[in-house]
Amino acid sequence: MAAVLRWPVSPRERATGVIKLSTLFWLVLVSTTGFAMFAVKYGVQSLEEELNRTKKAILAEEHAIRSDEAEWAYLTRPETLDEMNRRHLSLGPIATRQLRTTPTDIPLRAAAPVAADAPVVAVAEPPVDSAPPPIPESAIAPASPEKPLEPAELAKPAAAKALAKPVAPRRPRSLDELIAQVAASR
Amino acid sequence: MTIAAQRFDENPCRPRHFKPPPCVAIVPDGPAKQALDACRTRLFVTGGLFALVFAVVALRVVEIVAVGGGTAESQIGRFRIVTAPVPSHANIVDRNGNVLAATLDSPSLYANPKQIVDAGDATRKLVKVFPNLGAAEVYAKLTSGKSFVWIKRHLTPAEQYSVNQLGVPGLEFEREERRVYPDAALMSHVVGYTGIDNAGFAGVERALDGVLKERREPLQLSLDLRLQYILHEELQRVIDDFTAKGGAGLIMDVNSGEILAMASLPDFDPNHPAAPDPEHPAISLADRMFDRNTLGVYELGSIFKIFTVAMALDAGTSTISSTYDASHPITIGRFTISDYHGKHRVLSVPEILMYSSNIGAARMAVAAGAERQRQFLARLGLLKTPKIEISEVAAPHYPAKWREVNVMTIAFGHGISVTPLSFATAASALVNGGILRQPTLVKLPAGPAPQGQQVISEKTSEQMRKLMRLVVEHGTGTMAAAPGYVVGGKTGTADKISGRHYAERKLLSSFVGVFPINDPKYLVLTMVDEPHPNRQSHGYATAGWTVAPATSRIIERVAPLLGVQPVDESSPEVQRALMVESLQGKRIEAY
Repeated sequence: MAAVLRWPVSPRERATGVIKLSTLFWLVLVSTTGFAMFAVKYGVQSLEEELNRTKKAILAEEHAIRSDEAEWAYLTRPETLDEMNRRHLSLGPIATRQLRTTPTDIPLRAAAPVAADAPVVAVAEPPVDSAPPPIPESAIAPASPEKPLEPAELAKPAAAKALAKPVAPRRPRSLDELIAQVAASR
Repeated sequence: MTIAAQRFDENPCRPRHFKPPPCVAIVPDGPAKQALDACRTRLFVTGGLFALVFAVVALRVVEIVAVGGGTAESQIGRFRIVTAPVPSHANIVDRNGNVLAATLDSPSLYANPKQIVDAGDATRKLVKVFPNLGAAEVYAKLTSGKSFVWIKRHLTPAEQYSVNQLGVPGLEFEREERRVYPDAALMSHVVGYTGIDNAGFAGVERALDGVLKERREPLQLSLDLRLQYILHEELQRVIDDFTAKGGAGLIMDVNSGEILAMASLPDFDPNHPAAPDPEHPAISLADRMFDRNTLGVYELGSIFKIFTVAMALDAGTSTISSTYDASHPITIGRFTISDYHGKHRVLSVPEILMYSSNIGAARMAVAAGAERQRQFLARLGLLKTPKIEISEVAAPHYPAKWREVNVMTIAFGHGISVTPLSFATAASALVNGGILRQPTLVKLPAGPAPQGQQVISEKTSEQMRKLMRLVVEHGTGTMAAAPGYVVGGKTGTADKISGRHYAERKLLSSFVGVFPINDPKYLVLTMVDEPHPNRQSHGYATAGWTVAPATSRIIERVAPLLGVQPVDESSPEVQRALMVESLQGKRIEAY
């Protein structure tokens, strides 16, 4: 009996079952590690390729940006702008008298003739079915509550007040007209 | 004891003649045991070594993953990663970021004739893309039998695209770089140009070549493209109006020394430096490449009188109310000094400057003395080569021995030649409170102005401002006035030297203007070489009729861009700030 425990005993003889189990364990471990390693390797490779592709794309973009910048500088050089201005805009240098340093220097525009705009405002207002077509005399109309004698409107107590305020959603035809409108609304 | 033997015995698959070993395993003895022990030891050592190596590998893996992942990642870049073809030189931009010089990839087209299948077809296709190429020449190249021939250097991206579209095998591209100057001649003398391999040959390109090679960020100059255009245009206009040989000008920030615009005409296209000017083929290349602002030294004439007056006032040898007899010309040796705008009477210091009296200035300088004059000019940096970020700078010419006649002529700007750049730098110091600052072409960081050197007292500087205002208000420079911008300045009309004598008909007219003179911000120096009188100028080609009106136009155009607010020149504050005490109550003789 003692001889059994004595060394060396052939490992094959000693514990065949245990060996099989450990072999299996190592086999699984090796194949798992191998698989994982290759998976990581190919993953890295494909990432590197993607990185390279991206870097190349960035370089191409950078180059394109550089040429675009130069082209922009070429297309917007003062000489060209001057020439284009002469052809399309005819803007001149700012004269000294056009420059005002503080807002108080800007003179207020005299009150514009709002009355001339009034009939148009009236027309632009609610499409009144029963209202008579605007007559030229209505130039003084907006102040008088005669014209839009809609029952519904009359029912509103504030109707007259609303009329007195010249709400002018009409598009101004010129800058001067716009300023006149703003001035009138004050 | 016999387990193993029994098992073999019982095994039905055992070989027929297999005899199980007789009994138990033999425990070796003696030499056999020793051999076995040795084996065992070796096995242990080898196994131990392997274990050690694997442990090191494992530890390293742990280190990379858990501890030093970042550093490991940084190592990736060394392998198989595309490296960026960085442009060899950084771009140059103006103070607002407009590109003045850019490095662009510009591929060159070459062919490998050995790979060209159908030379005739390839030639036909190539000539269609590049109409400038001769068909015969291209065909000869493609059938040369060599393995490398250039077809065309420096293609545009569009051309490269077209060649790729041809799909002709045997045509290849070589990556090359090219320096491009979008504004062509506008900045030519300042920015300069480059040769093959983008090496700087002139201007900033040459002086800062090393800097441009090192940086990736664009180099920002102090120049303003818009101002440069205005200056260039107005100078060209003066040259055309007065059929002059050339002109130069600069705009400088008097409080920082930054140069905002600097132009010299005629000029050249840095994209094709050697190409002749299509509009003026007669003008030589050397003349067009010559930067009059920094490389030209000139006897600037009467504008030098501001230095004479400043010197006398600062040294105390004259006061603002001193008077000098200018009724008769001075004769010294073979020279006679007379006045162009002669008044033939005793003149006060303000009048000497206003009417640009040579006699008066000469007498002032003599009163101050030669040594004082020389030292004063040296202090203003007028006796040494100016320092700036371009390499084309010239040293001034001045007499080695400062005799009395030299004192007199230098007082009104003859007998000493300086660059317009040196002049503008010194003139800035006269008006900005007396501080001389190094001129620069590179944009300075925002913040307080760089250190300077106090060259004249603040009081003298204030007096100079008032006197320069007088010149524009009532003196020779009235045409330089730009209402609202309170211009002060000085005219200068010099006779040019031809050979050993002064040529009467060859003038160099210049004007130095500062605005707003009550709170000086910018200096405009304009100079025109050999102007000829025209009908509008009533037969004059002096500074007051040529460059003074140009300065007025320049100031009116640039002031709004520089954010200088116009003021009412007749307002009491401005009047008080610029009042010259000695003239108070006296009538100024209208010129």
